[in-house]
Amino acid sequence: MTVAALGIDAGSTTCKAVAVDADGHSVGWRLESALPRVEAQTDALLVALALELGAADGVPVVATGYGRKLVRAATRDVTEITCHARGVFADLGTGGTLVDIGGQDAKVIRIDERGRPVDFAMNDKCAAGTGRFLEYTADRLHVPLDDLGPRSLAAPRAEHISSTCTVFAESEIVSLIAQGADVDEILLGLHRSLVSRIVAMVRGVGLTPPLLLSGGVARNDAIRELLGRETGQPVRLPSAPQLMGAYGAALLALELTR
Amino acid sequence: MNLPTTLSDLRVHGEHLLQFQVLGSTALRVQRLRNERKLGALRMGPDDVLAPPPRALARMQELMSRHYLEGRYANGVRKVAWVTSGAPWEPLEALGFFPVYPENHAALCGVRRRAEANCEEAEAHGYSRDLCSYARTDIGTVLSGETPVGRLPRPDLLVCCNNICQTVLYWYEVLAHHFDCPLVVIDTPFLYGEAQEHQVAYVRRQFDEELVPTAERVAGRTLDERELVRVMLEARDASQLWREVLDRSRHRPAPMTAFDGFLLMGPIVNLRGRRATTEFYRDLLAELDARVERGVGAVAHERYRVAWDNLPIWYRLSKLSKLLAGRGVNVVASTYTYAWGELAPLMDPTDPLGSGARVYLHPILNRSTGHKLEAMRTMVEGFSLDGVILHSDRSCKPYSLGQIDQRDQIVDTLGVPALLLEADHNDPRAWSEEQSVNRIEAFIEMLETAAS
Amino acid sequence: MHDTIPSRSGALAVAREQGRAIVAVLPYHYPRALLRAHRCHPIEVWGPPFEPGDLGALHFQAYTCGIVVKATSFLVREGFDRVDAVLVPHGCDALQGMGSVLGDFVAPTPPVLTFYPPRRARPADRAYLVEEIRALGRRLAEVSGHTPDEADWAEALAAEEAADAALADLYHRRGRLDVDDRRFYEVVRAREYLTAEDFTALAASLPEHDGAPDADGDVGLLLSGIVAEPLDLFDRLRAMGARVVADDLATGWRRVYPPSTLADPYERLADRLLAAPPDPTLGAPLDARAGLLVERLRASGARGLLIYDVTFCEPELFAVPVLRERVTAAGFGVLHVEHELGTTLPNQTLTRIEAFVETLR
Repeated sequence: MTVAALGIDAGSTTCKAVAVDADGHSVGWRLESALPRVEAQTDALLVALALELGAADGVPVVATGYGRKLVRAATRDVTEITCHARGVFADLGTGGTLVDIGGQDAKVIRIDERGRPVDFAMNDKCAAGTGRFLEYTADRLHVPLDDLGPRSLAAPRAEHISSTCTVFAESEIVSLIAQGADVDEILLGLHRSLVSRIVAMVRGVGLTPPLLLSGGVARNDAIRELLGRETGQPVRLPSAPQLMGAYGAALLALELTR
Repeated sequence: MNLPTTLSDLRVHGEHLLQFQVLGSTALRVQRLRNERKLGALRMGPDDVLAPPPRALARMQELMSRHYLEGRYANGVRKVAWVTSGAPWEPLEALGFFPVYPENHAALCGVRRRAEANCEEAEAHGYSRDLCSYARTDIGTVLSGETPVGRLPRPDLLVCCNNICQTVLYWYEVLAHHFDCPLVVIDTPFLYGEAQEHQVAYVRRQFDEELVPTAERVAGRTLDERELVRVMLEARDASQLWREVLDRSRHRPAPMTAFDGFLLMGPIVNLRGRRATTEFYRDLLAELDARVERGVGAVAHERYRVAWDNLPIWYRLSKLSKLLAGRGVNVVASTYTYAWGELAPLMDPTDPLGSGARVYLHPILNRSTGHKLEAMRTMVEGFSLDGVILHSDRSCKPYSLGQIDQRDQIVDTLGVPALLLEADHNDPRAWSEEQSVNRIEAFIEMLETAAS
Repeated sequence: MHDTIPSRSGALAVAREQGRAIVAVLPYHYPRALLRAHRCHPIEVWGPPFEPGDLGALHFQAYTCGIVVKATSFLVREGFDRVDAVLVPHGCDALQGMGSVLGDFVAPTPPVLTFYPPRRARPADRAYLVEEIRALGRRLAEVSGHTPDEADWAEALAAEEAADAALADLYHRRGRLDVDDRRFYEVVRAREYLTAEDFTALAASLPEHDGAPDADGDVGLLLSGIVAEPLDLFDRLRAMGARVVADDLATGWRRVYPPSTLADPYERLADRLLAAPPDPTLGAPLDARAGLLVERLRASGARGLLIYDVTFCEPELFAVPVLRERVTAAGFGVLHVEHELGTTLPNQTLTRIEAFVETLR
């Protein structure tokens, strides 16, 4: 087991590193909550992973994510669009339409049969379509993050949330609570509103099956379920949805050695 | 020019003569000569991603600085008209008006990082942050008097033509309320398809019944037809030259970037109908021809050629230009700069008002979303483009609505990458550096992928 | 009095039975009698508020007016299948984008017609508007296959003008009507889709008080804006001890077109449209509009002006500071709130309105 390349994804919510061998198989990974000091955190994360796996010095590193320019050890930096496409393509062995919902961004990427992104769309700044939005409202409603999905799916009906702006949506939720609405139904409404924004982006880019889902929010069952229902397509998940950016980065780093 | 009749008039005229015509103009000429020398001596270093700007930039700066300098002393000496960027200027030029283009002034504030403060001033007076940032910058300037040009002259006349947006209609109502001066509205029905005769006749009638009589009354004299023909001729020649300037970027490598164009368009917007403007574009064209001849490109290593749709992001011009150039991307064309050149063929100096009615109905912003797609399609083909950046401008709804479909069509039917970039042309608070740079870089990676 | 007002679907069925072509009409100034003369029936589309808007978001950015996004969504989802044509009047840049995108890119089966009313009321505007109405008439004739003769015109003008008179009469009798605000606006807004005769009958059926109205303790408001949705707003206002005594709503008083005496039908329609109450989407001079609002505040006994705007509405938002200045100077309170077109009123908006009402007490 020799580490041939490393990829690091310095995201807005979490920081991830993946190591691959010469065949492009993942041989180890690490994931931490993002800290404000990106340089220090990414240095430490890479060192820890390299030590753990006994990686040699001078292994190529590709950085991606919001903090990618700050990763001092990086040989090159590449956007998450390209990295996610590459990672998911290698993991699932197919192109298609990838939905990646991260903390700060939601993106839809159309991946061709060679694993290259051919078109992409990202959420509007003022649209509530990101993981952070769910996290924020979960906190507001005192629901643990991991319960969001199951509780939404258990709701018999959905409250209607029409606002696309996070601030307005929160105010709408306050109104609904004041009217005695059921928390689970509010949650289902929120998930629906988020998924409908994502589906609009999918339609914009054009849905080339299969539909793939990655990013931290992929862990949320309700998102997966609703996305499948709304698009009429089965949703496929890679083995480690949160690590796809870092994995793709590691694969791109591996290419640098060739 | 109005002749002085009272003592205070004499003082005002004296200041105009001394500060503007003698001292200011001389100082600006000296400065321009120095700048021309400097620009002429600049050579591209090994690490430079951009060639030095055209030498003509120095002349442009002189023209614009002279213009804003004159503005400081214009009240009382010349009648001042504040007009929208798509307003029928030629009759006003022929009547001797001094023009102020609030949109251009707002852009200037944007480039000089003064727009935000002016926007905040307007917001403090109750103007919503969702309103056009040009309008907020301008209203803020009016309310605070703060401007990087020293002083803007008070208008004697407001002329608002809605061939660029409906926003100006409400904005100029606010100006009319504030300045209590005549407002002429030239209403140009939006062209969903081809222009119909009753629409052309309507615009013509407003020239005859509203614009010319009101302007004559304010100016205190009648419109000289021969002068109007002369002005129209200059305007047409300058527009034609501007179009040729832009078309030089069909060459590979392109001798100019659209970012240069955003600055060099100042005179065609603000000083249309003057001999000096026509001469300026003639010189610029000659300079670009020399570049083409020598094979000099504006971007050090031009690998990808893209178009820009919508207004520039004024407060990020140079950063964006360097970011793109650094990756070998040259923005060689834009629908925005083209707007002041593409109508030249419609201008008929023998029938200034008749042809003017058609000209002022046909700016790209007054035409359908399908027409704009066609314009971009033509650019992709004519300029051999590898991609298109569509600036989705919060502040400019008429330019932006339709871009989602336009972008999709460009990707689907032309097969080139296209990026919808969320921003605002003048309000830096609507700009998100992280997200935007990220998207631009992903777009460049796609250009690279498509080329590999 | 009708207990329930027929729905849009109900009105659509009635008009179909009468052999009329159905035209979905976007906000909001258009010559209604022209449609009737051409055997068309307009059903206006103002969202609807409950529409999720996802299909509209495929075409319009997040900073686009909610009415346009939701209406596009609604039409794509089901509206296009139910109508013979769509008419998009040019009221603002958002509606301009909608008309253009529908025609150029969405390209539905029913034809997309447009109509551009002038932004002033000068002789040139009048002459243009007459021609613009004629041009729209030609398009409508293609939709319904019917070109009106003199009798059609007489019938259409009589019916629509009677309905307009009934609407004006509702406002005239407002103080005497024994209905709450919610009911009043449900009826006013039924003009958006009922046939002229059904609306006239509905308006006439509203009961009047036997004695003096008993709402003296309430704080009277003049409500300005485009559309007062959700209708829940009126119940909330009543619970706060406020009532709407007059309005300057695009879905209300701004469409009380005065009668005309001109004989030629096209000129008559143009004449009425040009005489509409001051409206920014028709280019009404701001100072004149502000002056009239102050007069109406005084005449209606309102204590304050509530400006209730849909987000991103430039025609409305530009006027707010000058309206505030003039109305405050005249001694009235002013509150400006924005809302996203939807079915739930944000709590913060309600709190602000309630606090405003408290200051006026």
